[in-house]
Amino acid sequence: MAPLLEVQNLKKYFKTNRGMLHAVDDVSFTLDAGKTLGVVGESGCGKSTLGRTILHLIDSTDGKILFDGRDISNPTRRELSRLRQDMQIIFQDPYSSLNPRMSVSETIMEPLKLRKKFSNQEIAERTKALMDTVGLAERFWNTYPHELDGGRRQRIGIARALALGPKFIVCDEPVSALDVSIQAQILNLMLDLQEQRNLTYIFITHDLSVVKYISDEIMVMYLGQVVEKAPSHELFRSTLHPYSKALLSAIPIPKVDAQRELIPMKGEVTSPINPKPGCRFSARCPYVQDKCHEPQVLEEIMPNHFVSCCRCREINEITESVKGRN
Amino acid sequence: MENNNTVLLEVKDLKVEFHTDDVTVHAVNGVTLALKEGETLGLVGETGAGKTTIARTILGILPKPQGNVTQGEIFFEGADMLRLSEKEMKKIRGDKIAMIFQDPMTALNPIERVGDQIAEAIRLHNRISHAEAICRSMEMLEMVGIPRERYLEFPHQFSGGMKQRVVIAMALACNPKLLLADEPTTALDVTIQAQVLALMRDLTHRLGTSVLLITHDLGVVASTCQSVAVVYAGEIVEYGTVRHIFNNPLHPYTKGLFDSLPNLDESKKRLKPIKGMMPDPTNLPEGCTFCERCDYAMEICARKKPAEYEPEEGHTVRCFLADKEGI
Repeated sequence: MAPLLEVQNLKKYFKTNRGMLHAVDDVSFTLDAGKTLGVVGESGCGKSTLGRTILHLIDSTDGKILFDGRDISNPTRRELSRLRQDMQIIFQDPYSSLNPRMSVSETIMEPLKLRKKFSNQEIAERTKALMDTVGLAERFWNTYPHELDGGRRQRIGIARALALGPKFIVCDEPVSALDVSIQAQILNLMLDLQEQRNLTYIFITHDLSVVKYISDEIMVMYLGQVVEKAPSHELFRSTLHPYSKALLSAIPIPKVDAQRELIPMKGEVTSPINPKPGCRFSARCPYVQDKCHEPQVLEEIMPNHFVSCCRCREINEITESVKGRN
Repeated sequence: MENNNTVLLEVKDLKVEFHTDDVTVHAVNGVTLALKEGETLGLVGETGAGKTTIARTILGILPKPQGNVTQGEIFFEGADMLRLSEKEMKKIRGDKIAMIFQDPMTALNPIERVGDQIAEAIRLHNRISHAEAICRSMEMLEMVGIPRERYLEFPHQFSGGMKQRVVIAMALACNPKLLLADEPTTALDVTIQAQVLALMRDLTHRLGTSVLLITHDLGVVASTCQSVAVVYAGEIVEYGTVRHIFNNPLHPYTKGLFDSLPNLDESKKRLKPIKGMMPDPTNLPEGCTFCERCDYAMEICARKKPAEYEPEEGHTVRCFLADKEGI
């Protein structure tokens, strides 16, 4: 089966006063229908830009995007409008992504109205069905977003994204603004919807426990580049890239005496403007050597497990032998 | 330091209300807690549970005239904080009790050099010369891992993690006895969060500072605190050591919080969220505030407020089920 989405060497540079900002730099992946790709990384690593570029909310600088077998890298206006039916986005902040002057029903039915295909009655019926799907009671029909809590607002955002029956949804930090108990409700809803409608997700988040929970495959990004990509379990079981290791070791675990040793990382994220050709993590990497300053390739180290680090094999052998000794 | 058993801060049966034109918000409803010297206490709960209001009340910075303490006492080093004059409170704030706010981006003055901002805090509470204050300020910067050459820079030249370090330096500049940290790492990335938490742990341990850490992240609590108070709808529903709360949670709400967390060890199974939402603080139910969302609710729960039970020593639970045995 051909993948639903294929991204090849996607690049997005922004022009700034100080030079070119490499927000997304040479990212490639494929995603099968009904699967979830988790994209993780810290603020400024380009994960949101990646999602938005795929959806053509911003134009790419270079690269190819294939959706459902069609090349959608440079869509015409008409093609783009058709694409919007198939590709949708759920935003992070349910407080600022909704129009405060539109009621719940108006917000959800807006995409249906824009389609100009449905009668008023059909629109009302579909809106009711959508509200039911995402668990919004009908009494909220005429309610405005400010009257609702974050969880319910996020349900509106999901209903709106589902309105035109998309195949693919970019979820940009959909639960980051929510409390844990509400977060769990929304994550469950998203998994249910995926099962019922065979949806394909790109799930962008900085929360590693959420991403492991929801993804089939995980891509770790650092300063616009993919540093590691592997099936979810594989990534957590054997983390190979030094950055992924440091990132994983930093997750606080809600268990007493379960704290792992923190892998130290020097300093903070360096600037993505006019980056040097070598490994972008080298400035903070504890294993840095001269050859790290040469361009790195994303290499398949183990089946389906890609790592972009020239010392990957060496480093992980070292840790293996250390483990053996203990 | 942890063996020291002197109680530094004691909050007794505190109630705080906010009055608006037509409603009264019951933000804090009878909170009792004690903090020993050198201890770190985590205050955990969801948005709107009243965690920040508790900290603000301790520091005497409730918004006036809406915010009112209607009941209770707060003792700090033996003095009743609620009876002190504004002048006396000003002396304590920033000197003996310091606070770190959630958002480092808004906690600093954008048009004053960071070093000067720290020096200002030092000079406000110590009779030292300007030169000495600058010197101390530079030492503080170095203590939190910022080179002293950056004294003259402005907040916008720092990243989020660095700004939070500056805020910590400022809070610890006068060597406070008590640090109120309100979600100090929520706005930061995980790797930076880990650095900042390690820094806070190390510094407060070295200086013997007691910390009241407000957070919604149970992972942060496990790695930082010695005791935990779980706050729900303005009440402490469960209180105990980290071991009590994490290894033997007894209140259904605490259990619910743990069940809602995606577990790093398993995936794609459905989570067990807590159904419903926190009750409206302007219209709290008569009985147990968690009753409506509770899977174990009994007939008595809707009628009567559960008292605090102590199923094991030092572990209190506000739930009828904890009365005789664990659930």
